[in-house]
Amino acid sequence: MKRRIDHQSAGGPRVWAGIEELSDDPQFQAFIDAEYPAVQEFSKTARRDFLKLMGASFALAGLTGCEKSSFITALPYVDQPPNEVIGLPRYYATAVLLDGYAQPVIATAHAGRPTKLDGNPGHPATQGRSDIFMQSAVLQLYDPDRAAAPSRHGEAVSWADVESAIGVMRENWRSDQGEGVRLLLGPTTSPTLLRQIDAFRKQFPKARVHVHAAAGHEARRQITAAVYGQAAELHYNLGDCDVIVGLDDDFLGPGPDQVRNALGWSQARRRSSDRPGNRLLMAESVPTATGALAAHRLIADARRMPVLAEAMASALGVAGASKPDVTEAEANWIAGVVDACKDRAGRSLFVSGLSGSAATALWIARINQQLGNAGRTLNLTAPIVGPADAGTLADLVSDINAERVTSLLVFDCNPVYSAPAELNVGEAIKRVRSSVHLGLYRDETGALCEWQLPLAHPLESWSDARAIDGTVTILQPVISPFYDVRSVHDVFAKLLGAEDQAPDAAIRETWQASFGDAFEARWKQALHDGFIAGAAPFVTASPASNTVAPPNTTGDLDIVFQPDPTVWDGRFANVGWLQELPKTLTTVTWSNVIAVSPALAKRLSAANGDHVEVTVGKRHLKGPLWIMPGQAGNTVALYLGYGRTRAGRVGDQHGYDAYQVRPAGEPWLAQGSLRKLESREDLAVTQLHHRLDGFDLAREVTPGQVEQTTPEQASLYAPWPSSKNAWGMVIDLDSCIGCNACVTACTAENNVPVVGADQVRAGREMHWLRIARYYTGDVAEPRSFFEPVPCMHCEDAPCEMGCPVHATTHNSEGVNQMVYNRCIGTRTCSSYCPYKVRRFNFYDYRSPPESPEHAAHNPDVTVRSRGVMEKCTYCTQRIEAAHVAADKENRPIRDGEVVTACQQACPTKAIVFGDINDPNSEVSRLKRNGRHHVLLEELGTRPRTTYLARWRDDDTESRQG
Amino acid sequence: MVQIFSPVADTWIRLLLVGGLSLAGGSIVAAVGFAHSAYMTETDMRPHQPVPFSHRHHAGELGIDCRYCHSNVEAGPQAGLPPTETCMTCHSQIWTNAAMLEPVRKSLADNTPIPWTRVAKLPDYVFFRHDIHIAKGVGCASCHGRIDQMALTYRAKAFTMQFCIDCHRDPAPHLRPQDHITDMAWTPPANARKEGEAIAAHEGIRFGELTHCYVCHR
Repeated sequence: MKRRIDHQSAGGPRVWAGIEELSDDPQFQAFIDAEYPAVQEFSKTARRDFLKLMGASFALAGLTGCEKSSFITALPYVDQPPNEVIGLPRYYATAVLLDGYAQPVIATAHAGRPTKLDGNPGHPATQGRSDIFMQSAVLQLYDPDRAAAPSRHGEAVSWADVESAIGVMRENWRSDQGEGVRLLLGPTTSPTLLRQIDAFRKQFPKARVHVHAAAGHEARRQITAAVYGQAAELHYNLGDCDVIVGLDDDFLGPGPDQVRNALGWSQARRRSSDRPGNRLLMAESVPTATGALAAHRLIADARRMPVLAEAMASALGVAGASKPDVTEAEANWIAGVVDACKDRAGRSLFVSGLSGSAATALWIARINQQLGNAGRTLNLTAPIVGPADAGTLADLVSDINAERVTSLLVFDCNPVYSAPAELNVGEAIKRVRSSVHLGLYRDETGALCEWQLPLAHPLESWSDARAIDGTVTILQPVISPFYDVRSVHDVFAKLLGAEDQAPDAAIRETWQASFGDAFEARWKQALHDGFIAGAAPFVTASPASNTVAPPNTTGDLDIVFQPDPTVWDGRFANVGWLQELPKTLTTVTWSNVIAVSPALAKRLSAANGDHVEVTVGKRHLKGPLWIMPGQAGNTVALYLGYGRTRAGRVGDQHGYDAYQVRPAGEPWLAQGSLRKLESREDLAVTQLHHRLDGFDLAREVTPGQVEQTTPEQASLYAPWPSSKNAWGMVIDLDSCIGCNACVTACTAENNVPVVGADQVRAGREMHWLRIARYYTGDVAEPRSFFEPVPCMHCEDAPCEMGCPVHATTHNSEGVNQMVYNRCIGTRTCSSYCPYKVRRFNFYDYRSPPESPEHAAHNPDVTVRSRGVMEKCTYCTQRIEAAHVAADKENRPIRDGEVVTACQQACPTKAIVFGDINDPNSEVSRLKRNGRHHVLLEELGTRPRTTYLARWRDDDTESRQG
Repeated sequence: MVQIFSPVADTWIRLLLVGGLSLAGGSIVAAVGFAHSAYMTETDMRPHQPVPFSHRHHAGELGIDCRYCHSNVEAGPQAGLPPTETCMTCHSQIWTNAAMLEPVRKSLADNTPIPWTRVAKLPDYVFFRHDIHIAKGVGCASCHGRIDQMALTYRAKAFTMQFCIDCHRDPAPHLRPQDHITDMAWTPPANARKEGEAIAAHEGIRFGELTHCYVCHR
């Protein structure tokens, strides 16, 4: 008999994972009842084929015994480097780049190959934490679709040809001082690159520089400049905030400052163990991770943000603010904001995103000034990103169209794809006499330029860059380039007419001046530490006194443009790890969606996956619809980064290209309309996969409930006999921001394969750790929850009962072990697992043997083949390494010595791992916390992975922070 | 009425029964035997090497310590094959023109590694570490045999899971004092178990924990 799946806890709210579930769709019920839905779809005749194939497989199975001789070649060094320990990794401090900013990393290199990147623990801004882009940069390094050699009109050429062409160009430029020469690049923080650009402009004074950024902080810098009357960057000091009020600002979402903000927010949040340490009030048009964490979330269309900002300013007594008309819900929310900010001078922070542009930001700046937050929770620095006084892409296009450009040099930037289509950059580039593109890929822009020069990845080049706080990191190569590539500094040196020089010469030259006599020592120190101490100094500035009119919002619908949560502006489209990552809140993989509110979807009578046409001005696009619970009624969200045509084999032809309708003048908030089409597509969504059947899946507690923790459930079975160490994990649901850094880190550490969109649709994604996303409440106004679910390592593990060959067993430290070479693939363990954390290799998901991606594999973890089950091992390779290190010194393992990959990556330190036999360990301390609970405790599996409930802080009691 | 069974039917049945059972039993014995044979475990095989290096000469007759060449053995998972530079510390002085050593000189001149054939090889799914075995009192000879008597190197022990786990289940009799780790001629004392238990206690060996899957497989 089939049970009804209904997560009704006694008196608690109904928990749901997707709108299909709320509507009690019978198709949905059938989907849930199937363990692996795709397996149910065998047609009747397929059974005979299956038997035939099985017979053939048995016959061929004997052949696998014909293994090659185990006598393989072993290659020692000719001259072994000093301090090299063969078989152990080496670590290098360097950085990868996002939006021009350095993301400081410690790169783990096995036998000269970087395999894993983690945050640099010493770095003042990120303190060793990571995000998904940092984690997956190592896969991009080994991307076989990268540009491997220079080409001209698509024909391979040599670098010697390139150098002689540059020589000819320089001759031409010299005659007219660089008239008609244009550089186009993304925002950069590299002091060396900025120095080289200055030198270039000195040589060719009439050359001009343009900057193009499709997403990221460039828009914020423009708004900040308008608000403060001077170029500046904002820095949130969330660690000192009691109250944070945000208007459409996803400051905990993906972006260059995600890690720093998440760290600060979570540290403040955990200040006290008996109540939440801060309160977050958000007004949002499109649901984001930040909004999901808010105590009070107001749903308002994007066009309302300037109005709300002025209304708040008026309520808080900011001079000049008039009292605009607001709805009742808005008025209540503003009253809540005023109440929360009472007596919080200098301990609150108001932030705003891009909706309403400078009109919103100006009121927010004045509120911060009024409440004394400026200089305390909100700081300003001079711009960290350059180059200053650069022109825009639109200027460049109009110059090209006016025949004023003869040479165009594009550096690490893909405007043909990522510029608003109405600018028609592709046609413009074709009109330029000589064009050069330097980039990682021969992408849409590279294909149209005369010359395409392959760029070195940050992990294989010398460079420098500033982190989000302005601290400089010297980027050092972790591997020598395996394609015929050059760094941006090498190419610039050639443009400047320099002779061949050492690859780090340009960087050394930059730092020679500031390091002075102690150069070698300080240079070595900088490379060792991974940063040069000294953040950008704060400056003081007051918001301008002028008034800014809010943008014109007269259309039917607000069309909001957002960077994609995983592939960003499209530059990471060919990184399989990021494509397969379920996007925060939607859990869609391998595509972007057009997100609309449930009310709007009802008006269109459209369901998830139905194609809709978005019209902005005269331009249209077609894409799959996604009903986003909690989205504002008349706001439509378009996500950038998809619909690529020259990203590579992984990234091409997924989703729709939002740049097609993006207006150049209003790149973040436009007006448009929506029309339902007849076609639809099947999205690769994971929200209903790996579902749990039980109660209280997303637990919340109020400060008053904390003391009433239930005692551990009694069991007839004796506790698991334990050796010296007993490993356990606690995940703080209150700190989880759903950013997926843990999932990416786990993928990198444990060689988790990428399976592709079709396999994801069949429910076969292989992530060992998933971030389950739950909703409670009404679909129009739900509360959202993130719950990371790795293997629970149950002491009484149901999976172990099921295995007919003892391929999954328990060890004395409480780890549920999975032995791949014993596994015969019955999948019984997975069907017995109540937490649905086991993953089966339905196919051989490994890349072909010659693929460069193999170099990214962790050599300490088996690369699994077809037909075996796998799951989270608590990073057993790290546990065993710690055992060896401790045993060699005859000492116990110290608390904090074993750090799992997910724990190491988590930007909010929500995951804590350790020895539960040690009462003083961090994990034991958390297991005694009042918010501690066990997922599906009623099953009596006694899991070692447990949770801290999320704070429910929308009542008055918890406001006394 | 015609007899269905002839008088010899009984005999046939018995023969068939005995024959069938012995065939089945014999196949099992043969299969197990084959799996443990020198052919399958590749013991006693001397693969071709670019240089016919003799451990008997270097380790046995000259008495060079194992760790002079395999210098990584106490620090990391792999013992490490000696870099060409290590060979040349001596062979830049002696036997400088020996034809046998041409590949070594060529390696140094061309800066290309000597392509040795690996003799002691474990399957990919075994994550073995030399350093911890050395640190806990397992001697080189325990796994590699009397290397000092091998003119051409071969695998002395069958690296089967049985071989590993016998010791992991009961390490005590196989342990030796730290100063005899590389001693090829060391023989266990008469009271090997008692001595070994003393060493195990001193080294803090985690009895009972060494047989878990994740110790070697992950």
